[in-house]
Amino acid sequence: MARRDVARRDVARGDIARRRDIARGDLARRGVRLHHPVTPWLLLLPGLAVLAAFSLFPFLTTVRDAFTDARTLVPGHWVGLRNFRDMLRDEQFWVALRNSALYVVLVVPFTVLLPLLLALLVHKRLPGMGFFRAAFYTPVVASVVAVALIWSWMLDDRGLVNGILKALGAGPVSFLGDSWLLLFSAMALTVWKGLGYYMVIYLAALANVPRELHEAAAVDGAGPLRRFASVTVPAVRSTMVLVGALSSVSACKVFSEVFLLAGPTGGPAGEDTTLVMLVQRTGTGLDGRVGYASALSLVVFVIALLLMLLVLRAGRGGNAADREGHR
Amino acid sequence: MHPSRGVVRRTVRPAVPLLALALALSACGSDGGGGGGSAADGRIEGRISFQTWNLRAGYKDYFESLAKEFEKRHPDVTVKWLDQPAEHYADKLGADAAAGTLPDVVNVSPDLSYPLAKAGVLLNLDKEPVAAKFRDEYTAEAWRGNTLPGLDGAYAFPWYLTTGPLFYNKSLFRASGLDPEKPPRTYDELFTAAAEMSRRSGGRTATLAGTPAIEDFGRYGVRLMNDDATRFTYNESKGVELLTRYKRLHDDGGLDPQALTSTPEQAGRKFLEQKVAMNPGGANDLANFRKNAPSLYRNLGITDAPNNTGKPNMYVMGLAVNKNSNHKAAAIAFAHFVTDRRNQEAFAHRVAVFPSTKGSLDDPYWTKDDGTDEGRVRVASAKALKGAVNYTPVVMSDEMKTILRNEVAKALQGKKSPKEALDDAVEQSDRLLRRK
Repeated sequence: MARRDVARRDVARGDIARRRDIARGDLARRGVRLHHPVTPWLLLLPGLAVLAAFSLFPFLTTVRDAFTDARTLVPGHWVGLRNFRDMLRDEQFWVALRNSALYVVLVVPFTVLLPLLLALLVHKRLPGMGFFRAAFYTPVVASVVAVALIWSWMLDDRGLVNGILKALGAGPVSFLGDSWLLLFSAMALTVWKGLGYYMVIYLAALANVPRELHEAAAVDGAGPLRRFASVTVPAVRSTMVLVGALSSVSACKVFSEVFLLAGPTGGPAGEDTTLVMLVQRTGTGLDGRVGYASALSLVVFVIALLLMLLVLRAGRGGNAADREGHR
Repeated sequence: MHPSRGVVRRTVRPAVPLLALALALSACGSDGGGGGGSAADGRIEGRISFQTWNLRAGYKDYFESLAKEFEKRHPDVTVKWLDQPAEHYADKLGADAAAGTLPDVVNVSPDLSYPLAKAGVLLNLDKEPVAAKFRDEYTAEAWRGNTLPGLDGAYAFPWYLTTGPLFYNKSLFRASGLDPEKPPRTYDELFTAAAEMSRRSGGRTATLAGTPAIEDFGRYGVRLMNDDATRFTYNESKGVELLTRYKRLHDDGGLDPQALTSTPEQAGRKFLEQKVAMNPGGANDLANFRKNAPSLYRNLGITDAPNNTGKPNMYVMGLAVNKNSNHKAAAIAFAHFVTDRRNQEAFAHRVAVFPSTKGSLDDPYWTKDDGTDEGRVRVASAKALKGAVNYTPVVMSDEMKTILRNEVAKALQGKKSPKEALDDAVEQSDRLLRRK
């Protein structure tokens, strides 16, 4: 490096150091020490306060209430594990647990795979593709109430779907009158409404898949299916795990779709009730059993947490296997 | 390795404001009701809040002028009118009561006032001489309707009463070979007509869009609770008989396929779309039919809801006073003012409801048919109100109503016998009642 350049660099460094000293001096004069240990906490305080007020405090209150017989207007007394024992004897709890479990088992695979296929369809840069991307995303931004209302009209005994079935010579199907069909209809609605959201996540992942890998695989004679299985899927595996974790937690907490299609009773004889619907039904109103609903909420929380850990662990296992394979 | 003292200090110090915040927040959750507010017989003064239930959309002018008139009579009082939507009204009341911010005067029905009164946040009007002196201004049934079991007194000034006729579709009756001028009046006639309609239409036309609710059990003549309201009794033989007949009706196609999940709104829509032949309603529905279903309106029949007891069902609305109000005297005066004869009648003239003050229903407006459909419904309903009872037990919570509905659905689906379903519903509801 020329001597003149070194001198110029030293001058520049000196300038920066001098400016920093001046700034420090100004701040010090104003009584502020940037490296004081409290400073980061002060900066974090507003966010932490919001978190404490709206997440941590309600969570801790819920944990406390789960062990009491609190009602909406009565603080309640400590009852130990009684709420959890009651839960085991509650027929509705088992129905709700079954429905929530079914929701996870049946909805998650679809929300992992279908948006990926959809993303593959629309990630190509072709004229007019923007329209399809927007169209597939529309259900995500639509109100769940409006969407559920439209679906309930379509699935009504005299709705559009039954009209088509009738025109094809098939008898009317009681989508909203039969508890199983109603639950499957709600699942279809959940998958349909989530497609666009997960599609966008996959689009971002697909944009990062190196084109050379596809080209190399094509040169080696791999067809589209083989390229999908051997190039695309491994490349977006971590995104699939993310989508799996997100959708399994959402499926575990499902409320609106079932509530809006099945009505406040949770379908015929309450057979479509999900865990969160049960929390809502038992814990609200002037006579709400807040203690019992809190215990139910705690169970939902633990199940969702376990599910997420399970999916993330499965994803990590897959990645480790991949690494082994590559080695 | 143990953390150094400095590290501990750095960790603990920032947590102090958080703990303070958490403590402050937990303090917010405690009952701030205080010790019972001002004296009920004190001066009528102060700023009071008055909360209604879904009335702003249609009756803003009425309530604003009412508040202004009261303020004119009592210059030391300011009335702040609040209105809450019908959805989650009970939740809103519960949140307010728990936070100690319940408005001074609140619009409640007896099933809503029961838990509030039990939690000690409503004024017992019978125990408060300043309020109890107005008791004779209201009909005995209406005052009794706000008297809560086990709580020894009335907890709301009776406001308006409602009862509804049963609407039916004459065209569907005619198509099924039934006489449109002779609608069913008793449950026997109802079940016979429904079976006939289903048979003649090949199962295409259902008569009803909803399953039996607790009021239906009451009208059928079923004893709903024991005398001290500590145990449900609708699983007695009469209740089982009603459910057995409904099961037959369901099997014969007399109930809409979605009846097991329909809300009253959805059932109303089915009737509007002429998919079912009969549906309970009120005088307010007439304008809706006229506007949205003219062909239905042309064929609309109006009759009384089937009844085996001779006593129709009545819904009661009231105005309760917050026991912890800081201006109790003003709150009592205002609640009485809104529910006095003149104002109740004025409100009932605007809305298709009925006053609960003594002698009001003797007025020609409620006794003479003016030839209009509204007039016909009004006169018939007002007549029915005499001797009407509120069949919904005030101790029956929403959760208990859902339990009954779900057990009824199990019986209709054939998953349980009617007896088993009702026994289970009673057993679950009694368990909830004992834990109250």
